[in-house]
Amino acid sequence: MNYFEVFGLPKVLSLDLKALEKTFHELSRKYHPDYFTTAPAEERQRALQMTATLNDAYRTLRHPVRRVEHLLEVEGLKPDGSKVPRSFLMEVFEINEQLEEVKSGAASKEQVSALRREIEQRAEGFEQQLQQAAADWDKLSAAGAADEQRKQQLSRLTEILSESSYIRNLERELEETS
Amino acid sequence: MPRIVGIDLGTTNSLVAIVENGMPKVIPGADGDNLVPSVVYFEEGGNVLVGNPARTKMVEKPKNTIFSIKRFMGKGLADVRDDLGLLPFEVSTSSDSIIRLRIFGREYTPPQISSFILRELKRNAEAALGEEIVNAVITVPAYFNDAQRQATKDAGRIAGLDVLRIVNEPTAASLAYGLQERRQGIIAVYDFGGGTFDISILKLSEGIFEVLSTNGDTHLGGDDIDDQLIRFVLADLKLPESNPNLPAIRAAAKTAKEALSSADTAEIVVEGLAYRRSFTRAEFDALIDPIVERTLKSCRLALQDAGLRPEAVDEVVMVGGSTRIPLVRSRVQAVFGRVPHTDLNPDEVVALGAAVQADILAGGKRDMLLLDVTPLSLGIETMGGVMSKIIPRNSTIPASASEKFTTFVDGQTNVKVHVLQGERELVQDCRSLAQFDLKGIPPMPAGLPLIEVKFLIDADGILSVSAQEQRTGQYQSVAVKPTYGLTDDEVEQMILDSFEHAESDIEAREVIEARIEAERVLRATAKSLEKTEFAELPAEEQADITMAADQLRETVKIADHRAIREATERLDQATHHLAEIIMNAKISEKLKDKRVREIE
Repeated sequence: MNYFEVFGLPKVLSLDLKALEKTFHELSRKYHPDYFTTAPAEERQRALQMTATLNDAYRTLRHPVRRVEHLLEVEGLKPDGSKVPRSFLMEVFEINEQLEEVKSGAASKEQVSALRREIEQRAEGFEQQLQQAAADWDKLSAAGAADEQRKQQLSRLTEILSESSYIRNLERELEETS
Repeated sequence: MPRIVGIDLGTTNSLVAIVENGMPKVIPGADGDNLVPSVVYFEEGGNVLVGNPARTKMVEKPKNTIFSIKRFMGKGLADVRDDLGLLPFEVSTSSDSIIRLRIFGREYTPPQISSFILRELKRNAEAALGEEIVNAVITVPAYFNDAQRQATKDAGRIAGLDVLRIVNEPTAASLAYGLQERRQGIIAVYDFGGGTFDISILKLSEGIFEVLSTNGDTHLGGDDIDDQLIRFVLADLKLPESNPNLPAIRAAAKTAKEALSSADTAEIVVEGLAYRRSFTRAEFDALIDPIVERTLKSCRLALQDAGLRPEAVDEVVMVGGSTRIPLVRSRVQAVFGRVPHTDLNPDEVVALGAAVQADILAGGKRDMLLLDVTPLSLGIETMGGVMSKIIPRNSTIPASASEKFTTFVDGQTNVKVHVLQGERELVQDCRSLAQFDLKGIPPMPAGLPLIEVKFLIDADGILSVSAQEQRTGQYQSVAVKPTYGLTDDEVEQMILDSFEHAESDIEAREVIEARIEAERVLRATAKSLEKTEFAELPAEEQADITMAADQLRETVKIADHRAIREATERLDQATHHLAEIIMNAKISEKLKDKRVREIE
């Protein structure tokens, strides 16, 4: 299932969210099961399926990370943990140790907020990297770049997602402990 | 399209409403009251009373007068153990997956007890509209999980209703609000009822009501406030939880609570005990503060999930009886930084909204559309007892997700799947929805079969599952066994039971049918009274007809189907001659017409 197609869009990563919402509302008015209550069972079922797909597509595309994940999936790629550089894993490991300390209650207030800042900064860093890589992908697509170049850009996106997922996990764990 | 009614099946009160001439209105019961108390009284011998007549039995016959049954819907025995101390009901321990109340040797599940309330509402609507009602929209708390929604649908089926849609209460309220106020922008619906609390954040634009996020607690409401007051009185009297005066104390607590919504001091007076104590608003506020704080926490989480700051909310709409409490209003005002909108009747607005949604489904309103969300994340159990989310909370419904499964052993033909709802990491902290087996997988080496399972949450917020083996394209049978609730067969059996057992129901049905026939004859008579043929009748015959019609109009009000049928028959006879004259006149009119045309 290609969610970009549901919205009649090419596989681009910089989306106008206002326009996306507008199309979402228009398509909802067309397919929503509420308007098919009296229709034959088959049509009702189709309305349900179409709307579910539309909603899944909107949920995925309006979210910057899920949007990239979906592009990779459509292109047959998956975030690959094994390609994450060792040096980065060591850094994650260190942050994780600090997190364990916070969890055990041994960390001071200052340490907790320092850790939070550290994680936030990294998350923001990845966000910027992702934005940049997404914009680069769109440029390549618009220019009709060669397959080789496109593949390279996709693997760059995969890398960023794999690495940032570690940070997102740390972020979530910290939130749950506090 | 037959009529569709909107039903608010509440913890404390239930209502039925319908849209007429574009506006929703509540249909009152036989006693003229818009609210039907959600109380069911069982008489020994099988007779059942619902609503106000049942409520009067609460103190006198506590064991067989069931109230607040909604709190038990879709729950297992373990879920409600803490509540049972303060409740006078006898609970059977025969099953963990559903609660069964024992009344005069018979066992009743929550959907069955709710079905009595629904049947009463159905009857009220039928009597008022003069036609049989089979289609309904029923509201549930937004934070109801899959099992609680399914239990509500089952209750509808047992009551003989085709439940076309389950709608979330705060969302329904937003429809009624939107219809009346015609405002656009972000609204927050704070719905604090008798048993449950919901907060929903919505975006209203050009007729689309889009829920951005929802949060709540399906076990937090006016009943919990009553319980706090009851415990306070019990402590004051040095009485244990289980004691025969509990129903009287509950009644006294409710009265005092309601009085404190407008007065600064109230008296707690317990009937039968020499207990009288004055209770101030300040004492009350201190007692309920932790409960109100829990609702505010949900509000903050809902805002966070919607990605909004409190000041982004244009209006806060208050729904549910518990929003009459001054402390609730002032604390909500503090969180959102604006005076909440309290113009709507907090008891009726959900039912009115349900009627609006019913009208949308019936094709009456195409300019309005509700886009609701699933309140809880859906996931499946993965290795190590971890819940893996596949549809996140606050996803617009209908929503779907697919997951691929494979086998671990050569020739394995079965794969077990465990479906959960909740936000926590570990399976044990989430709500088990169902387990199912993917059966009949073609025998292959381990890891080779690829079974794609599709999870679909429909517009009611209820899950269905289908599966397909990818290599053979073969559809798999998926026998989902719900963790909580009734199986389809059990519901069928209950539908049958409800016909056999309720003698009074058959009576009521007869009355409705007699009334429908009577209304039809009355309408036909009224029409013929306007005709010239009536004016040409002898005065004696005219008087005979009007008298018979008046008589029938009076008789219809009494719930006696024999008397209604007799009076209908009498009017039928009295108008027999008149009907003949009119018919003859019509025929000769037609013939005249024909002749003219033939000449041309």
